[in-house]
Amino acid sequence: MLQGLGALLRRRFVRWTRAPTWIVAGLLTPLLYLLLFGQAFDLGKLVPANPLAQAGLRSAIQGAPDYFSYFALGMVGMVAVTSALFSGTGVIFDKQLGILQRTIATPVRRSTIFLSELLFYSFLVVLPILIVLGLSLVFAHVPGLVGLSVTEHVGWLGALEVLVAILVLSIAFTSLFLSFGFLLSRPESYFGVVNLLNLPLLFTSNALFPKGTSPGWLQSITAYNPISLAVNVMRETFFGTAYYPYPSYIYLFGLLGWALALSGLALLLASRALRVK
Amino acid sequence: MAEEAIGVEHLEKVYPGGVRAVQGISFSVGSGELFGFLGPNGAGKTTTISMLTTLLRPTSGRALVAGIDVATRPREVRSRIGLVFQDSTADGELTGRENMELAAGLFGMSLREARAQIDDLLASMDLADAADRRVKGYSGGMKRRLELAVAVVHTPQILFLDEPTIGLDPQGRAGFWEYIQRLRKEKQVTIFMTTHYLDEVENLCERVAIIDHGKIVAMGTNDALKERVGGDEVEVRLAAGAPDLTGELTAVDGAREVTRDGSVYHVKTPRGETLVPSLVKACDRAGVAVEGIRVLRPSLDRVFLGLTGRAYREEGYDEGRASSSSAFTPRRGG
Repeated sequence: MLQGLGALLRRRFVRWTRAPTWIVAGLLTPLLYLLLFGQAFDLGKLVPANPLAQAGLRSAIQGAPDYFSYFALGMVGMVAVTSALFSGTGVIFDKQLGILQRTIATPVRRSTIFLSELLFYSFLVVLPILIVLGLSLVFAHVPGLVGLSVTEHVGWLGALEVLVAILVLSIAFTSLFLSFGFLLSRPESYFGVVNLLNLPLLFTSNALFPKGTSPGWLQSITAYNPISLAVNVMRETFFGTAYYPYPSYIYLFGLLGWALALSGLALLLASRALRVK
Repeated sequence: MAEEAIGVEHLEKVYPGGVRAVQGISFSVGSGELFGFLGPNGAGKTTTISMLTTLLRPTSGRALVAGIDVATRPREVRSRIGLVFQDSTADGELTGRENMELAAGLFGMSLREARAQIDDLLASMDLADAADRRVKGYSGGMKRRLELAVAVVHTPQILFLDEPTIGLDPQGRAGFWEYIQRLRKEKQVTIFMTTHYLDEVENLCERVAIIDHGKIVAMGTNDALKERVGGDEVEVRLAAGAPDLTGELTAVDGAREVTRDGSVYHVKTPRGETLVPSLVKACDRAGVAVEGIRVLRPSLDRVFLGLTGRAYREEGYDEGRASSSSAFTPRRGG
């Protein structure tokens, strides 16, 4: 079983390393987001400098010291979605090329095929997230750039919690888009669905805007959005718990629930797609 | 035929929607045999091979491959067979060697135990020099050879070839078959192949089954099949203006049916060569000189016609399809 998993993963990584455009574009995207969006607009500047107004802003951005710090962690959620969009493409194109059929004809387990896709594409999500997070933290110490300012003391446990949240969020979204890869058979259909989901996922979360700005029905959706859950874990860890109704581990459990449900769905669709008719 | 490599009994496949692609076929293939499965497009060849290779579940009936039931223990069957598809399924972004390593891993081999085997196979398929180049740069023939090498990396007992030479030019096909024979000799592998090229089964396969509309219409060695449609034909050419010898030729022991076209006679017989002396003698006795004589062997083409009542090409492999589709192709310009 390990030989099979190793062989499938090796194939994915070799293909990846041979497509420099893919790598560069994938890693450049989050960097551009940070440099353009992040540096370009600062909602904080719209708010008058008086203490009352500033306190209101602080409450709206849930304890973050400034809008960029708030936004940078939202960026993690955004990068998770935009990087996970491609998770189903491997399966889709393997179906088209007959490579999936050839793989099914070998004794490798169906669950191994699924696991290899999940692991590889989750890696492709985690990597740019870590870059975004790392860069934002570095930006805070670069003169002339706005960065992510951490106001709380983050211990080992806090750092671990943030890493787990990133990992679980990546697995959740990879599973979601992998599901469509297994479900659908044509690239056109796949990209249609992906395009449909992409922005709603993002805009029903509190990744980029304080949720106070949206109507009540949307706020309740926002509360359960996996991006919000992951972002809450990180913001609570970095900026303190004052503006959150629940401790961060509650959000983490919610996120874990999403990841389990979505990876379960993906596994189900994978076994259906790989089953002999 | 030492033992049975493939045993099929009343195998049937009904697709959702009710199409009975394979309608209760039975046959067996001996170990080490090269067995040809011949039929026009849509006859049920690929459906059959898909069931034998566990890629399609039989609706009813039973198929044992390497002694194992394909329906109940598919994984064990998969590890004992190799498969060459109609189209190339190698990953073009990987090198030939990497494709083979991938296949070896999927069959549970470690890279270390596979390495020597991979080198051997690449060399024997004449791909050693191209081994570390990406497959997308390979020629059609090289890709086919790589498919072969990939299919046998785990030393399967039975190799399934589903129309392996489709899309190759005649030279490429001939070359490919040389590699098949080489592989057969080196690995002693049983081969089950489907094809719609009559000449391939005629020249290469030891036994042939002919499938049409989901049923096996004939099965046996090439010679036996030819005999079934009346065997050979001897053409006897007499001098112009010779008297009618139909009666004399029909009387020859072994002649089945004699047709006359002017001074040229066609005599049907199970064994052409053995009839030639008797036919010449019969003409001598009648005092007529034989100008020429030749034995015509029936082709599987004629076998197919005799068994199904249709010419093999009638159902339209290339030519038929090309002409029928062109009727619907709008003209450009004008």
